[in-house]
Amino acid sequence: MDNERNWRRTLLGVVDTVTQPLIAVLISFLLGAVVILVIGKNPLLAYGEMIRGAFGKQVYLMNTLKRATPIIMGGLAVCVAWRSGYEAMGGEGQMILGAMAAALVGYYLPAPGWLRIPVALLAAAAAGALYSMLSGWLFERFDVTFIISTLMLNYIANYFAAYLCNYPLRDPEANVYQMQNAQTGKLPAEVTLPPVMKGWVHWGFVLALIAVLVTWFLFKKTSFGYKSRMGGLNPRFALYGGINARAMLYLVMILSGVMAGLGGAFETLGSKGRYVDQMIFSTGYAWTGMVAALLANMNPVGTLLASVLLAGLAVGGSTMMLNMDIPLEVCNIIEGIITLFMSARMIRIAAGNMKRRKQAKGGGKA
Amino acid sequence: MTYLAQVINSTIREITPILLVALCAGVCSKVQVFNIALEGTLLMSAFFAFLTHYFLHNIFLSVAAAMLVAMGMTLIMSTFIVRLKGQPMIVGMALNTFARGFTTFLLSVIFKTKGAVNPSDLKGLTKFDLPLIKRIPFLSTVFGALTVIDYLAFALAIVMFVIMYRTVIGFRLRALGINRAAAGSLGINVARYQILATTLSGSMIGLAGCLLSLGRNAMFIQDISGARGYVALAANNLCKGHPLGAMISSALFGFTTALARSLQGTAIRQQLLQCIPYIATIAAMAFYNAYARSKARRKNRSL
Amino acid sequence: MVFEMRHITKTYDSVVANDDVSLHLNRGEILSIVGENGAGKSTIMKILYGLERPDSGEIIVDGKPCRFRDPSDAMAAGIGMVQQHFMLFEDMTVAENIVFRNELRRGPFMDMNRTVETVRQISERYELKIDPLARIADCPVGLRQRVEILKILYQNAGIIIFDEPSAVLTPLEVDALLETIRGLAKAGKSIVLITHKLQEVMAVSDRVYVMRQGKVVAERLAGETDIGELAVLMVGHPLAHYQIDPPKTGATLLETRDLRLVENGREVLSDVSLHVNAGEIVGIAGVSGNGQSELIRCITGLEKVTGGRVLVCGKDMANRSVREIRDAGLAHISEDRYVWGSAPAGTLEENTLMARQDETPYSSRGVMHPRAIREYALRLIRDFNVKASSPAQKMSELSGGNAQKLIVAREMSLDTPVLICCEPTRGIDVGAMEAIHSRLLQRRSSGAAILLVSSELTEIMSLSDRIYVIFEGRIVGEFERGSMDDKHLGLLMVGGSIADGQ
Repeated sequence: MDNERNWRRTLLGVVDTVTQPLIAVLISFLLGAVVILVIGKNPLLAYGEMIRGAFGKQVYLMNTLKRATPIIMGGLAVCVAWRSGYEAMGGEGQMILGAMAAALVGYYLPAPGWLRIPVALLAAAAAGALYSMLSGWLFERFDVTFIISTLMLNYIANYFAAYLCNYPLRDPEANVYQMQNAQTGKLPAEVTLPPVMKGWVHWGFVLALIAVLVTWFLFKKTSFGYKSRMGGLNPRFALYGGINARAMLYLVMILSGVMAGLGGAFETLGSKGRYVDQMIFSTGYAWTGMVAALLANMNPVGTLLASVLLAGLAVGGSTMMLNMDIPLEVCNIIEGIITLFMSARMIRIAAGNMKRRKQAKGGGKA
Repeated sequence: MTYLAQVINSTIREITPILLVALCAGVCSKVQVFNIALEGTLLMSAFFAFLTHYFLHNIFLSVAAAMLVAMGMTLIMSTFIVRLKGQPMIVGMALNTFARGFTTFLLSVIFKTKGAVNPSDLKGLTKFDLPLIKRIPFLSTVFGALTVIDYLAFALAIVMFVIMYRTVIGFRLRALGINRAAAGSLGINVARYQILATTLSGSMIGLAGCLLSLGRNAMFIQDISGARGYVALAANNLCKGHPLGAMISSALFGFTTALARSLQGTAIRQQLLQCIPYIATIAAMAFYNAYARSKARRKNRSL
Repeated sequence: MVFEMRHITKTYDSVVANDDVSLHLNRGEILSIVGENGAGKSTIMKILYGLERPDSGEIIVDGKPCRFRDPSDAMAAGIGMVQQHFMLFEDMTVAENIVFRNELRRGPFMDMNRTVETVRQISERYELKIDPLARIADCPVGLRQRVEILKILYQNAGIIIFDEPSAVLTPLEVDALLETIRGLAKAGKSIVLITHKLQEVMAVSDRVYVMRQGKVVAERLAGETDIGELAVLMVGHPLAHYQIDPPKTGATLLETRDLRLVENGREVLSDVSLHVNAGEIVGIAGVSGNGQSELIRCITGLEKVTGGRVLVCGKDMANRSVREIRDAGLAHISEDRYVWGSAPAGTLEENTLMARQDETPYSSRGVMHPRAIREYALRLIRDFNVKASSPAQKMSELSGGNAQKLIVAREMSLDTPVLICCEPTRGIDVGAMEAIHSRLLQRRSSGAAILLVSSELTEIMSLSDRIYVIFEGRIVGEFERGSMDDKHLGLLMVGGSIADGQ
């Protein structure tokens, strides 16, 4: 009896962790197909185009990995904070400030190129961490909930960065036609993150991989991971056991902010080579990262995989847009629906309903 | 003088959409359904109000469509949270992502653009001039060019107060929000009440959506909701879900937005001005909580 | 006969909560169902009230077979229940709570005047005094229970079930409650009283069912039995008496001096001074809600004190962090095992590691050693006979008794000179209770200073060498073992003095 229950529990667990994302992905792609059908295109061709455009050739794959880099970092930021019970959504603002800080240091620091990269990364990490700590401080000192403070801070960061790159830091050379968004000065080649090999993705992706490993190690193998998880599972229990909640709050916020800030820096140094107005805001990297973390149930390695898939969705989506004239936003629709269906504990509830129905039947028979 | 009247007028117009959304947020928070899909709901209803108007040229149908869409979004939100036990934050963010994608998608499919659609031949909501005030110089500007929905917003705040605090249904809703288990133990179908109440109150977001896309002229811009849903969430947080309090807290946010707009063209750059309402939101919440805390502390010390 | 339950069986997973239970209730009768925690008495009443569904068996109310899907069906059939955990709306008035779901209306509006008037009338008719306009949040526990009873009377129920109604009451309130129950029966209501307090049973009931391990083991008329017989029937064997040696006390290890706590403008603790020596168990007797929880939170660092000192092993630890206080030599079995004492969604390993996460051999320089952690968990599970399948299992999967044993195991294994022990046996079965008691006595003989807080007076009386009585945040008495009987203690607990009792 006990054995059977154990077996069933394990099975339910596996079903819960694997089937749920699969079902969510399936439903969202089905609904996406309906949308594509409605505008008179063939969804199978469209999805084929999407997959080819994301993973079909080395160039495409590298594009996907490039796009995945900030998403992974945004996802890790969410993993760190949410696992500890702080439902902060400030990744976007922190990423914006990180990207801006990297662009600033990379462009203006009077130092040789090889030194500017590490300093730029440090500055980005610091910017993200400080901004993240600000929301932690608002929570600790003034009880301002994370949802409201982080959402507001995201907008503030975006407008502030927009101001900087439109006025004091604007590159007068670029943007002659007033058609593009404003941008800061172009970083010299030696201050950008080079490709790992010719035709490969830039080093930022490798650093993101390292960040995944570090996060995994922190979660699984360190007492910091243990403390933060206990704080997330039951804050009172953590307090009772002598864990310093305040220290944990700020540590977690710093770590989460560092991840997001670095994500922004990778985008600046590895991809754009400067800060371009709205470059983080309009792409929704941080939100996609949050979706990835959610799909992976706050597991860092899972977040990595989900980020690559979601990046593929967006990159493949652009191919689909170019070749089949289907708007890119189909991908946002799909992403939204995946998230929606991931939020519900559908399998558990279905299992619970089945059990209850069985019980009711049993009661009825007697 | 005219300038002041204009500022007040623009404040009022900034208040009303936030107020309507905050009223919906108030009902949601009273019945313990945490709704951050407000932003996406607002965006969707603004878009569908515009779309219906664009094709059918009928203001009533547009308003009805916006309300229906808003109720639909809210229904999905509450069903996922209440019945399927989805985590409220994630459900909300999912719907917001969806709304952003869906509106931009339709915008580019139908209008072949991703920016703004501003057809010059389309009129917005009918303006409603108060008969007497029309002739008084200062007040005519203050209340100038307001739509029926603007007036309705304030009326609804009072109506919602009466519903929530004076009627049987409002009493039940507030009670089940305080203690779900107790309401359930007395045979109330808590989930059904929660879903119905939130869905019906979602119609108010539909009205707010109409104000955004049809309030002045008929037009739609990508991301037209501009975080008003989140601001309304903060406004509701500040007034603890009380409909009359929502008028005051929405006024605060409406005023800062209007202020930021009226300062445009001065030495301060536009992007910095745009930060003001968001900073004001955080500051208001921080000050309010600090005040509540110090009050409690004074009470303790006086003993 | 107003209702009858025939051959009811109910199982949860593999646990049989009710095994072929049959019972009935006569009109105007006060029926008691007694049994230990986990004997199945609450389950059978939950089935009658529609909160649970039986696997088999039938319920007959007023001669008609019924099947209740939820409490509203039971209510429609005239059954009301005063639950152990009150089902009240804190932020609303007494009158609003009473009329919920059967509101008096004027069109769509609440008719508040008529509501208040009606509630006042009912309260006068049954002599249950209340202020209809008081807010529940401001009402003490006894008054809240009265509101629950009025709620049922307002719904005009003929059958009223009381589930452990005296658990939360002061002795004086208990007397008033028993008086109320008698009055209700006289007014024609049929009453079911679920309890494990036999004095109350003998004081009011006409007939008694005894349940043990899910079965009805005996039915007695109250006039034909006595407390002794019921006790033996309940436990299944004569009651164990602890063999307790006189204490060998040593130095004072825990002491509070003039401890004060002010919360929300209310003085919760006033000048609490107490001490616990090595080798003794000191009990704190009091009706819950008189400052015990706050006192313990102040001592253990979970709450900041307003004034006074807390000395742990001679060092002043007032307002230090929990970590520092624990390091000074204190362990703490908390009053609520799921709110404070554990992370239900965490694994057993994670739950046993708490407070030791930074110690060798479990971690070094911040890196954890999974094998040592697992072995430690396994050792605690084995040493304290916790029924668990694996250390990787979730805490929430353990039964209440086993979860409590694991928490006790964790805190005792810290082997500290001072042990704070709150409600160590609340809501667990007898086996686990006896195991925990004998562990406590073991620690006492090995020289630990133990502070015991419990709302079960019998637990305090049987284990403590010394007892402090707490009332409204003040220590109102201190006694050696055997110098005080429970009657006098009970009087002190409600603010009386010893002279009152003589």
